[in-house]
Amino acid sequence: MAEQTKPFDSKLQAAALLLPTIVVLVAFLYYPSLETFRLSLYESAFLGQDLRWTGISNFVELATSSTYRNSFVVSVLFAGVVVIGTLVLSLLISYMLFDVDIGSSSYLVAAIWPYALPPAVAAILLNFLLHPNLGIFTHYLELLTPWTLDWFSSGPQAFAVLAIVAIWKQLGYNIIFMVAALNNIPETLTESAQLDGVGRLKMLYKVYVPLISPTLIFLVVMNTIYSFFSTFPLVDLMTSGGPSGATNLLIFKLYRDAFEFSNYGLASAESVILFVLVAILMYIQLRATEGHAQYGA
Amino acid sequence: MATTTETDSTPVDESRTISQRLPDNLAMHVGIILSIVAMAAPLLLAIIMSTQTTSEVYEVTNLGLGSQGLSNYQTVLSEYQFTTYLINSFVMSIIIVVGKVGISLLAALALVYYELPYERAVFMFILLTLLLPVPVRIVPLFQLMADLGWTNTMLALTGPYIASATAVFLFRQHFMSIPSSLVETARMTGIGPAKFLFKVLIPMSKGMIAGVCVITYIYSWNQFLWPLVAVNDKSSQVVQVGISYLQGSAQAGLTPWGLIMAGACIALLPPLVVLIVLHRPLLQTFAVQRK
Repeated sequence: MAEQTKPFDSKLQAAALLLPTIVVLVAFLYYPSLETFRLSLYESAFLGQDLRWTGISNFVELATSSTYRNSFVVSVLFAGVVVIGTLVLSLLISYMLFDVDIGSSSYLVAAIWPYALPPAVAAILLNFLLHPNLGIFTHYLELLTPWTLDWFSSGPQAFAVLAIVAIWKQLGYNIIFMVAALNNIPETLTESAQLDGVGRLKMLYKVYVPLISPTLIFLVVMNTIYSFFSTFPLVDLMTSGGPSGATNLLIFKLYRDAFEFSNYGLASAESVILFVLVAILMYIQLRATEGHAQYGA
Repeated sequence: MATTTETDSTPVDESRTISQRLPDNLAMHVGIILSIVAMAAPLLLAIIMSTQTTSEVYEVTNLGLGSQGLSNYQTVLSEYQFTTYLINSFVMSIIIVVGKVGISLLAALALVYYELPYERAVFMFILLTLLLPVPVRIVPLFQLMADLGWTNTMLALTGPYIASATAVFLFRQHFMSIPSSLVETARMTGIGPAKFLFKVLIPMSKGMIAGVCVITYIYSWNQFLWPLVAVNDKSSQVVQVGISYLQGSAQAGLTPWGLIMAGACIALLPPLVVLIVLHRPLLQTFAVQRK
């Protein structure tokens, strides 16, 4: 990056231009985040009016609480299922879109629209369509398979339903990035493999997947963050964490501890744990993309 | 076969490859259409059900357009406050889009075109906020809104979203890709920063600005957790939380699913239309984000 001479040098003007962004970030992002760290070391009562220093006992409480440990395990499993499910499905769809090429613009919009789908709407739609008694999907599923859909009372089924909705909503975002990455591969890199007459599926995972791996790593990170942070509406509107904690994701437990039980100290400790998680994920992404920079578009 | 350019292949070769490719390609098209139908099926079914009466909905396999026509939509808009929720969602999203794009353009202008001490540090300070999504700061943010007296107001819905690392990052990337000769010309003519922004930068960044607007609009419209926490007065609520009220209000007796589907379709329409109309700038902007 050649350093060009910059046209303006008034430091006052520069500061004034940066001020709105900095003020908002400090007031609504940095300050509350630091407060989260502080509050996590206190026990709170009376809607946070009464604070008592307790050191790390909130964290100890979480570490020893079977409810929290359950939420942690459920969230990690959920993230695993959602990340893998989303990647596999969107890779297949993206590859088909990339392969046919012709008229792909209208195809592409028809495939990426779930990016605009509000999670709350996704939840409500499938609440109804997969309803154990009224859902039309349920009806045909039970007609065509030996299964009985009863996710209002079966934990594993509720978990699966939630994962399906989460994957559905996330497909659009993934397809956007995968199609772009596939289109960016220089043809010289794939020509020889094509001449060899390698089958399509083999081409996909032997040739294309390695070539777009930086994008895939980026998507693994973004999908993991999504499944930890953006799935609140799904849990809130579909399962409320049940049955018996089977879908009690960390983000939902945090919400209830904070705003149903007004346990601000404990909820803040849960926020701190989520922060550590994002930090680790962002770090992984940073390191991974650095290593692959030379292949990057 | 030293050279393998396309023009070298004989007609015989070509016809063979076409007949080889055709069935394969057909399978690919069928695969795409099946995937697209599967992804759209819940939405299409919801639209059908949104025209049905409750008793029609309870005949599970009834897939005809219902006898309600659009009256479920009318009911939702007039009797369930959806008009209010929609207005609130629109106002919130537009304030966030305009505010975020505006102040991020200013910040990027300072970062790219001003001799700035600690430029790297300032940029990192902005970028690090990517580590602080709403759930990480939700309790203090909620308390802050209460202390400021902002609970139940548009300020609470928009304030925390108005600055963003992503928007500053994207505009900075874009500005840095503008040819330096152009900047040099601007400098020679002694153009002021305001004119430079409005006459040079913004016209040259239309696609990028449109892309950031689309991303921000969809993101704002789809927010659920923060409006749920920051607003407890129904008349100030946004439509995403509004559909949950709709679902919750009907616990007793037969659930009016037709009505709920109509509400859900209403809540989906604005971001969907924006995506369809403006998918080009959106895709271009995402392409920059991954670089």
